[in-house]
Amino acid sequence: MNRRKYAFLIMTLPAVLLFFTFHTYPALQGIFYSFTDWHGYGPWTFVGLKNYINVFQDDRALHAYLFTFKFAITTTIIVNVFSLLIALGLNSKIKGRNFFRGVYFLPNILSVLIVGFIFNYIFAHILPQMGNSLHLKFLAKNILGDPNLAWIGIVIVAAWQSIAFNTILYLAGLQTISSDIYEASSIDGAGKWREFWSITFPLIAPFFTINMVLALKNFLMVFDQIMAMTGGGPGESTESISYLIYNGGFSGGEFAYQSANAVIYFIVIVLVSIIQLRILQRREVEM
Amino acid sequence: MKGTLKTIIGGAIVLSLSTSLLTGCSSSGKSSDEKTHIEFFSSKTENAATYKELIKEFEKKNPKIAVDLTSPPDAETVLKTRLTKNDLPDMVAMGDSTTFTDLSNSGVMTDLSSDDIVKNIQPTYIDRVKKDYNKHDAVYGLPYATNGNGVIYNKDKFAALGLKDTPKTFDEFIADLKKAQGAGEIPIYFTLKDAWTGMVAMNSVASSMAPDQFSKDKTDKKTTFKDSYSTVADKLLTLIQYGHKDNLGVAYGDGNIAFAKGKGVFYLQGNWAIPDILKANPNVKLGVFPFPATNDPSQNKLVSGVDVLFAIPTSTKHKAEDEKFLKFLLQKEQAQKYTDEQSAFSAVNGVFQNNPILEGYKDSFATGKITSYPDHFYPAGFNAANIVQGFFIKKDKDAFLTKMDNEWDKVVNRK
Repeated sequence: MNRRKYAFLIMTLPAVLLFFTFHTYPALQGIFYSFTDWHGYGPWTFVGLKNYINVFQDDRALHAYLFTFKFAITTTIIVNVFSLLIALGLNSKIKGRNFFRGVYFLPNILSVLIVGFIFNYIFAHILPQMGNSLHLKFLAKNILGDPNLAWIGIVIVAAWQSIAFNTILYLAGLQTISSDIYEASSIDGAGKWREFWSITFPLIAPFFTINMVLALKNFLMVFDQIMAMTGGGPGESTESISYLIYNGGFSGGEFAYQSANAVIYFIVIVLVSIIQLRILQRREVEM
Repeated sequence: MKGTLKTIIGGAIVLSLSTSLLTGCSSSGKSSDEKTHIEFFSSKTENAATYKELIKEFEKKNPKIAVDLTSPPDAETVLKTRLTKNDLPDMVAMGDSTTFTDLSNSGVMTDLSSDDIVKNIQPTYIDRVKKDYNKHDAVYGLPYATNGNGVIYNKDKFAALGLKDTPKTFDEFIADLKKAQGAGEIPIYFTLKDAWTGMVAMNSVASSMAPDQFSKDKTDKKTTFKDSYSTVADKLLTLIQYGHKDNLGVAYGDGNIAFAKGKGVFYLQGNWAIPDILKANPNVKLGVFPFPATNDPSQNKLVSGVDVLFAIPTSTKHKAEDEKFLKFLLQKEQAQKYTDEQSAFSAVNGVFQNNPILEGYKDSFATGKITSYPDHFYPAGFNAANIVQGFFIKKDKDAFLTKMDNEWDKVVNRK
């Protein structure tokens, strides 16, 4: 028994050490520096809670929070609706099912930055040309240059890419439902609509929960798309919190201040995730 | 938080891996080729090709020394990260930026004031760099190339409008813009999707004020943007009327191509854009002139800054080799090559820009009618570019000036 314990210990230790050095330790360091006035290098002193108080008085940070939540909630809903629909389609008996599964997964293996740059080109050149020739006024301009529309461009790109991964999770969920239940329901005369709401959806509830939580968490941390497409602009209309933290912390030389912002945001994300899990898990059914 | 930490950690890992790869290469290189390797870090990606040629020539003359050029994207952030790790390169080429100020003030750069090579450089530029850090009698950076932030114009279109002389006053400029608009041309080709290009316009318009004085007064609460920048804001609003229909949808790279292909008569950009424009269309005939910010020609100055300066970190183990390379770069022949290839202006004595495209700036440099970038004196962390970009969208002067004031105060108070 003891020897087995040792074996387990030896197996876990490397992972724990790596995780600690590259994840936990820097995180603790970040929390530590959020109580100082360090600007990334050079000498520093403790300033207590000053950085935290300043974050709450910073309307730029507040605006970033509002944008990020607006973006994250919209994208989460869009992604989950579409990936569930695609998963249902890919789970039915259609021709070339495996081929389509491959195709729909493709966006997930591309780098976010590259996808961002490609869409940047589409928004800047292809869509305005189409808009001009079709006389669609809202398309005639680059939507990323319009402060009221730029966030929609980012939603489209983020959703286009993340639907792939969520579809895979839903697909896995759909395959856990045994066909007996569907047979029983069709004998009872249930239609497709009824079947979905009474059987399929309740039975993939755990997957729905995990998809909602993961998607929201991912979109709350949106960074790459903004880096590639708008740089927080036009104006400050698409400045997400992660982008603000990176930009202000490194280019702006406010490392400690943005560390405080990051600590606050960490707490916010943890709280949101816990609340989401609690609510969604309540409606899951056990088979 | 987790996400940012992940990016930070990810970045750190990539950085440490790549630098360890680099050092790995150079140290293994040392043992095999028995050369002394010096790492030459450049913060500009545009001039890498010119540096590579200069390095090749230097290595031919000094077979015992190998110069390894590093010129990563987002170089100033990389440099700051390397400073935290005490892993500075042997020699740095960077702009006269806030990062340079920070590096100088943290005492990691060698004071070159006693070195003879200082005499190769025009004293006005050395004085200008000296102003930027606390220890004014030291020379932490040797200015090499300077730039000009004004107006680039399409000579053929300009002549087709029946215009002869470039405008000397703001009113003359507006009259030219009106004429262009009347002829169905795009007067100014804006590329405001990239927020920084708005600062080119803003720096030009604000150039008639003494920029260092404004910043001092603003921080000491003796003045505000509301008091001092009102006419600047008005002039920006006038200029934006003469743009095209998607001023905020076109990015800098696309703008260079569009301007090269004949879209727009005037282009508010620095001389650094010229090589890219010519690459897109070698036949376009370009000219430049300083932005006429006021109606008094004697007050209108060219906005010019130090684009490249050389500095040697104190931590280098190859100071002798660094100086040899530095001396080589500062020789007339090399400085001239750099100036020609990069469409730049030289800070080295006796080296001039003879490109006919840049003829329009010659007078400003010869008579000393140049001034610094106003935003050069803004505090770090003050996000002026995006606020100006927002102003070009909403066109609300009061809101813009109030926001500039508030953000400035906030950033200064946080320090």
